[in-house]
Amino acid sequence: MAFGASGGRGGFGGGRGGGGRGAPRGAPRGRGGPPGRGGFGDRGGRGGGRGGVGKRGGPPGRGGPRGGGRGGRGGRGGGRGGGSNVILKPHRHPGVFIAEGKESLLVTKNLVPGEAVYGEKRISIDGGVDGTKVEYRVWNPFRSKLAAGVLGGLDSLFIEPGKKVLYLGAASGTSVSHVADIVGPEGVVYAVEFSLRSGRDLIGMAKKRTNVIPIIEDARAPQRYRMLLSTVDVIFADVAQPDQARIVLLNAEYFLKNEGHVVISIKASCIDSTAPPEAVFAKEVDFLRANKVKPIEQVTLEPYERDHAMVTGKYLRHGQKE
Amino acid sequence: MLVLYETALGFCLFKLTDEGKLESENVYKDFESPEKASKLLKLKAIHRFTSTAMAVEEITALQEQKLTKSLKKFLSDEIIGKGKSKETLAVFDSQLGKKIKEKLDVKVVSPHMTELFHGIRSQLTALLDGLDPKDLATMSLGLSHSLSRFKLKFSPDKVDTMIVQAIALLDDLDKEINIYAMRVKEWYGWHFPEMAKIIVDNIAYAKVIKAMGFRTNAASTDFAAILPEDLEATLKAAAVISMGTDISDSDMAHINSLCDQVISISAYRTQLAEYLRNRMNAIAPNLTALVGDLVGARLISHAGSLLSLAKHPASTIQILGAEKALFRALKTKHDTPKYGLIYHASLIGQAPPKLKGKMARMVATKAALSIRVDALSDADDKSESQAPSIGLENRAKLEARLHSLEQQGDATTVRSAFAGKKQARFQMTGETKTYNTAADAVDLMPTQREPMEAAVKAVQDVKAEKKKAKEERKSKKRAEKEEIADGIDEARMDLDGEETKESKKEKKRKRRESEAMDVDPEEPREETEEERKARKKAKKAEKAAATEDGDASKKKKKKKSEA
Repeated sequence: MAFGASGGRGGFGGGRGGGGRGAPRGAPRGRGGPPGRGGFGDRGGRGGGRGGVGKRGGPPGRGGPRGGGRGGRGGRGGGRGGGSNVILKPHRHPGVFIAEGKESLLVTKNLVPGEAVYGEKRISIDGGVDGTKVEYRVWNPFRSKLAAGVLGGLDSLFIEPGKKVLYLGAASGTSVSHVADIVGPEGVVYAVEFSLRSGRDLIGMAKKRTNVIPIIEDARAPQRYRMLLSTVDVIFADVAQPDQARIVLLNAEYFLKNEGHVVISIKASCIDSTAPPEAVFAKEVDFLRANKVKPIEQVTLEPYERDHAMVTGKYLRHGQKE
Repeated sequence: MLVLYETALGFCLFKLTDEGKLESENVYKDFESPEKASKLLKLKAIHRFTSTAMAVEEITALQEQKLTKSLKKFLSDEIIGKGKSKETLAVFDSQLGKKIKEKLDVKVVSPHMTELFHGIRSQLTALLDGLDPKDLATMSLGLSHSLSRFKLKFSPDKVDTMIVQAIALLDDLDKEINIYAMRVKEWYGWHFPEMAKIIVDNIAYAKVIKAMGFRTNAASTDFAAILPEDLEATLKAAAVISMGTDISDSDMAHINSLCDQVISISAYRTQLAEYLRNRMNAIAPNLTALVGDLVGARLISHAGSLLSLAKHPASTIQILGAEKALFRALKTKHDTPKYGLIYHASLIGQAPPKLKGKMARMVATKAALSIRVDALSDADDKSESQAPSIGLENRAKLEARLHSLEQQGDATTVRSAFAGKKQARFQMTGETKTYNTAADAVDLMPTQREPMEAAVKAVQDVKAEKKKAKEERKSKKRAEKEEIADGIDEARMDLDGEETKESKKEKKRKRRESEAMDVDPEEPREETEEERKARKKAKKAEKAAATEDGDASKKKKKKKSEA
């Protein structure tokens, strides 16, 4: 067989080589540049302590502008110390961490140390044993709705180490890479994306992370990828389609365990641009409730996204328990 | 009952021990633990994929609900070969089930057994005993990668992508050419500012610079290949009296290379447009015939691919590209836009402003039909000479329709002009509240002969006149009585007359004044024209002085820089 346990997978990655990676990584880095995402860039500029880390491994596109800001306050010495004055704390959600330097940042433990997926910043911190370093990747809430949900105060993410996650609407795999970090090598992320262009980047990302299974299919047709999946613990959906809830429920019927969880990011304007967002959210939640999903909580993704909400729920496959 | 279950490893055939369980709603309870599950289901056979290539092939066929040879062989070996052909086979996919039924003569059921298959999925590792769960994970990982790569490699809309990219590049080139040409004009304008006024076309401007170089060479250069004769003459005349600064050879070299860029990019643009036209004719002949290659390509690029464009309704095609306006209109409950990208189609361009919306709607409906024909017909059909038949036919129809609409529009305007005022709006008045019996008689009139009608009318008229006369007489008498009673009738009459005279005089005066007023503003206007000329002269003088100053300062700067 072309892929045995690990050797086969190695060959897989080698087949395309580094050249293949160049393009997909280039694209997201370009996206990081424009001022629309500047909210994050500003923050980074203030955090002098982390600047040093970014300098070591950070991509040139993002590190560049920040360098100037650091030059101005170089005398303070904060920029030199690297990760030493960054304190890492575990977040309430297992698998997610907070890096506290001059400012708190959401990070996940990098599954593939030494490499950024989409030009995000990395922070390495001394491990428990001397000389070992653990690398963390910064999770930008402006780019990932799940991160926005975490900062928005979700009580439980349900995506935890060792869990199996079905990720609908994986896009280029930027958020998926963080989910893969969270579930760790024991967990699995099934990343479904329909667009071929984004799928290309997704496959590139999945090559490095063996716990991500890329599926280039329409999430509306789960029977087309039924052979690839086992049952999953959580379905995360960020598909931004008018029939999003239906898509999620269809997938839940196929793949979600009993009493598994659904985490849905709802963009109000994608469902009904004329109705007020609150009404849209309420309608979606009602639809979920009518279809065996018991809503647990709903948080708004302000200020990271406008008119978005994240809804979590428990899937009761066999109806409500008495 | 046998159950066919597809995994990334291969096809599995299970035997259901207790069929009665399926009927009950609590099938899931039998899958709650591995032991229970393996009691309910026994693995009879497994057909493993021997290679990834094979796996990709099989799974792709499965996704397309096709029955492959190996699956057919596996089933016939396991079911018919082992004498179990009387058993029913449960297949998840009903389409695939039908095909198995046809080919193998096996009783196939594929009811809604999501619970059964979900149960199998949840306990698969236990059911496939002796199988390393890691093996399954590795296999599904490898398979998913291979499938995805297969999907990317043999993407059906790869031809459309070329169009999407080409039209995007075309737009980029247009922007670029414009930016560069503006820069050329700005730069060379210091040397020969008058030329920008004389030669408006960007490409011609660049070509002239290439041919002429310094403006002093204008007289000795032949522009016959670039410019028409009259322009050439004015250019040569302007070059002699130009007020531009002198520039050095190195400056000229850079301007020349910029001109090269402009010329080469515009040459490439025409080449690209040609390529796009050919591609559009090959891929969407009907759409191209109807709306033209550029609009067609933009529509495809907006929808992503020809097939997805074909799935859009005509109403969407009509406003494709005007999403912002549409959603704003929906949100604020205003009128939605009438047209988007389709506005640039020549059919809509040639329509008068009032009919543009109507035309956009009709073009969109015909375009939707053409797109569907293009998207769903075979590639061979498209290459034939009569491929764009529907597009051309519809175009002719639309042109005819537009023509008739225009004519109709003209006719209505003529009619309305002669008809005079519009019909008055109906309003309820108190008079018509009661039933008017007289109206009945009038209504009956038309049935009578004309002479009779006329006679009756005449009689009525005469009666009315008599009445009027009587009333007038009465009122006169009354008035006379009143006047006599007052006793100052004559005096008042005189006064009235005087008043009227006075008012007439006033009116006359006013008229005269107004005439004078009318005349007056004309006089200052003439003055201003004179003044303007004077001002212009002054301005020119100032300008000249300023430019001289500027030149002088520049020369100084130059000297400085040289120094």
